[in-house]
Amino acid sequence: MSHPRSLSFKSLLARHEAVLVFVIFFEIVLFQVLGRNFLTERNFSNVFRHSVEIGLLAVAITPVILTGGIDLSVGSMMGLCAVLFGMMVNGLGMDPWLAGSAAVACGALGGGLNAALITRLNLPPLIVTLGTFSLFRGLAEALTKGAESYSGFPDSFLALGNSNFAGLPTQIWVFFAVAAGIWFLVHRTTFGRSFRAIGYSPEGARYAGIPVARNTGLAYVIAGAVAGLAAVILVARLGEARANAGIGYELLAITAVVLGGVSIFGGSGTVFGTFLGWIALAILNNGLTRISDFKIMDQTVASVARELSGLLTGLLLLTALAIGASIKTLAVRRARNQPVPTSKPEPATQ
Amino acid sequence: MKRKTFIASLVLLAALPFASCKKSEPKGNLTIALLPKSKGNQYFVTCEKGARAAAAELGAELLFDGPINSDPAKQNEIVENWITDGVDVIAAACENKDSISTALRKAQAAGIKVITYDADAQPDARSFFVNQATAQGIGEQLMDTAASLTGGEGEFAIITGTLTAANLNEWIKFIKALQAEKYPNMKLVDIKPCDDQKDKAQQEATNLLSAYPNLKAIIGVCSPSVPGAAEAIKQAGKAGAVKLVGLGLPSENKAYVKEGVTQAVILWNVEELGYLSVMAGAALAKGELVPGATEFTAGKLGKMKVEGDNVILGKPFVFTKENIDQFDF
Amino acid sequence: MNKYFREITVASALGLLLLSLAICAPHFFQFQPFTSRLTSQMPVLVAAIGIALVIMSRQIDISIGSQFSMCAIIAGVMAASGLPLGVSIVAAIGAGAMMGALNGVLVAYLGLPSIVVTLATMVTWQEALRLWQQGRLLNLPDGVQWFGLSQPAGQTVVISLSFVLLIGAALAMKHLSAGRFIYAIGTDAEAARLAGIDPKRTTFGVFVLMGALAGLAAVLNLVQSPQVQPNCGDGLELKTIAAAVVGGVAISGGRGTLWGVLLGILLLANVNPALTHFHQPPYWEKAIQGLVILLAVLADGLRSRKNQI
Repeated sequence: MSHPRSLSFKSLLARHEAVLVFVIFFEIVLFQVLGRNFLTERNFSNVFRHSVEIGLLAVAITPVILTGGIDLSVGSMMGLCAVLFGMMVNGLGMDPWLAGSAAVACGALGGGLNAALITRLNLPPLIVTLGTFSLFRGLAEALTKGAESYSGFPDSFLALGNSNFAGLPTQIWVFFAVAAGIWFLVHRTTFGRSFRAIGYSPEGARYAGIPVARNTGLAYVIAGAVAGLAAVILVARLGEARANAGIGYELLAITAVVLGGVSIFGGSGTVFGTFLGWIALAILNNGLTRISDFKIMDQTVASVARELSGLLTGLLLLTALAIGASIKTLAVRRARNQPVPTSKPEPATQ
Repeated sequence: MKRKTFIASLVLLAALPFASCKKSEPKGNLTIALLPKSKGNQYFVTCEKGARAAAAELGAELLFDGPINSDPAKQNEIVENWITDGVDVIAAACENKDSISTALRKAQAAGIKVITYDADAQPDARSFFVNQATAQGIGEQLMDTAASLTGGEGEFAIITGTLTAANLNEWIKFIKALQAEKYPNMKLVDIKPCDDQKDKAQQEATNLLSAYPNLKAIIGVCSPSVPGAAEAIKQAGKAGAVKLVGLGLPSENKAYVKEGVTQAVILWNVEELGYLSVMAGAALAKGELVPGATEFTAGKLGKMKVEGDNVILGKPFVFTKENIDQFDF
Repeated sequence: MNKYFREITVASALGLLLLSLAICAPHFFQFQPFTSRLTSQMPVLVAAIGIALVIMSRQIDISIGSQFSMCAIIAGVMAASGLPLGVSIVAAIGAGAMMGALNGVLVAYLGLPSIVVTLATMVTWQEALRLWQQGRLLNLPDGVQWFGLSQPAGQTVVISLSFVLLIGAALAMKHLSAGRFIYAIGTDAEAARLAGIDPKRTTFGVFVLMGALAGLAAVLNLVQSPQVQPNCGDGLELKTIAAAVVGGVAISGGRGTLWGVLLGILLLANVNPALTHFHQPPYWEKAIQGLVILLAVLADGLRSRKNQI
């Protein structure tokens, strides 16, 4: 399932990000014209405050998807970590920051479970994380009997989710730090480069001396840990920890990643692409709710635009996929037509 | 190419917050925002209908938006968007009590009048709660009806929406409390969630009927659970032998009530709940409804009672075989 | 090791569960509730046959829940508008096949990953349905429930139809060339192509079949009560994929039997009734189901490891 690459393909990849920037720009103009209060400082911070958790999950599963895997359990992991965090603070009287670190550790542990099953036992990631998807959410519900929730956290902790720092929502700085860390890992270290190598061709990576199992496993551990962090930030924003935290977030995160041009088969894509995909999605989501007072032939279409946001997300994903596929087909065709100057060995097809 | 893209996008993003800040222009009309627990839900769609009628009478603008799935953070996001818009009144039906309170307090701090309806937030996060009937009233009405049907004895089970739904749990709490106090000969044997799916409720009820052969009654506290349980009772051939009461819309239960499978369906007038919420919100914004008031005039509904910080819609209504034909919602 | 090792393991687990029920809660086996429970699982079985074929051809379809809901509502709306039941049924199956065809085109001919394609179509159908129906519970006219037959007759029709389908599909997988094609492209699409099988056409066909089966499953669910709810397919994708995996269908394609899928459904579907009959609280249901899935894949992993060594 790997694709032949050529110079033109690489430039197309860069163009994918250029296209995304254009899409984002187009969205901003569109919503500024149609919507009300779109480009205001308050709305600007809202866009990011409310999508930081999705953004965190998206950058965290990027390495996983680069290795050709997938992690469906991150949303459920948020539910479990949120509940554990609430129990530690309310039940055990722990300091929220200590409990937060413990929640991140729990996330890493859960990611470790995924990693062990996937790499040590060679099990398909889709089905393993589907199992832990049920398991983590189920544990969160069982621990709280479904009904209990935890609240009453100290203001100093809630500030993480609700205050500003240097003009931007506090949690966005956490996101920047994590995203920069993962970007550095994936694009600037030999260790991180191995993710793409593994996704491109696991056999090839093995022959090249890359410890495939260890490196792949680490991608899942990182995803788990970041899911724990996202849970803590969500609790800080909402002021309540409950078993239903993060329901459906895995799908949104995957959407952002795919929109960002990361190949779902693994092997190609960038963290910056995911970042742009996330921004495009966040702005779309917010912008559609900004459209109001908009009339066509005396008919208010305000509510219609808001109603459509889910449908548009689905269609957007489909369109992004179709465009991605046709670009790839074109690139392959062009690569075939042009004699490749340096003979690059074709990767073995699986 | 890539570097240029990168720089261009950074510049673009950095420029965002400094871009022209268009403030919301002052409007003559009142803008009232109504937040349901979820959008694609018959109950809240009916609420919206009443709310629209009220807004039309007042000449106010009504915004209606809510989550489409069970993501608890979505309600907060919508409220914060309304704060940005500078709406005048927010009326919220709360899914997660504590989370939504965080956002509603922010709205109050921004000078927006906040009321809740259907399901309450923390008292300090809103001015009034438009109560369709108190949680106690609903719970006790269900328990009393079930007990009167079974003669105050025997086993009964509850089918609920999801185990995490705050207001359903509140009602169940009052069902349990009243049973312990008033009906010591009755016994609550099980509480099953149906995930708001009628078909799952049917399966759960089938299981309950065979697992507890002495079951005398089932109480459904969410609307899909009542027709689901009714079908299970009917298929088991236990119509009348196992009593069924629950909350639900008359239109969804008419057939079963007439056949005598479902004995009683309890509900308040949902359309009037939406209507009253908008009226109360408008009165609050205009200063006609102030803390400490004991009543206020709500359009066509006339004078409504206010108890403390609760605006009371009225007693829940019991639909039975005799009267269900008179209702078409 | 025995070729039917997985089927035997799952059957033993199921047997053990039923045995403990027979001892602790004999009411479980009363005729009526038992039949009702079985009937209510038949739509899941029909949908699971489809998903098993999809997984065997090394694809996945997570949009079947929304396809199911969409078909159920289409059939319901048509029946409610006075069209004959037969027309509604054909329309539901046709609509399912069309939605399946969309998935099929995107996956087979555009070469897009099925998980993302079906993720997108799932959201799209779900949202379209919500916009269309606003969550309304639709009352169906008389004559739809049990196809207008009596309850026992209707249940017999639903159950026998599903089992005929299961047996037919199982035999086809074993003896018809189309069935062998599915195993072939699931094992190695390139080798299959070289052997003269058209992987694209086969994959497309599997998705169309999946959609049609989702439509049929929706009909079999529709006739079990006089009302239909637009969220009736929610969670079906998890139920069926879990059943297929537990029943021994390898997610990496090319392996598994439909008998295993049947056993997987029966095992997972009985977890919840068993909890009720053992008088246990329902909080653990989801965690137990997750654990069963993980145990099943764990068994797969350990087994393939053993084989490697």
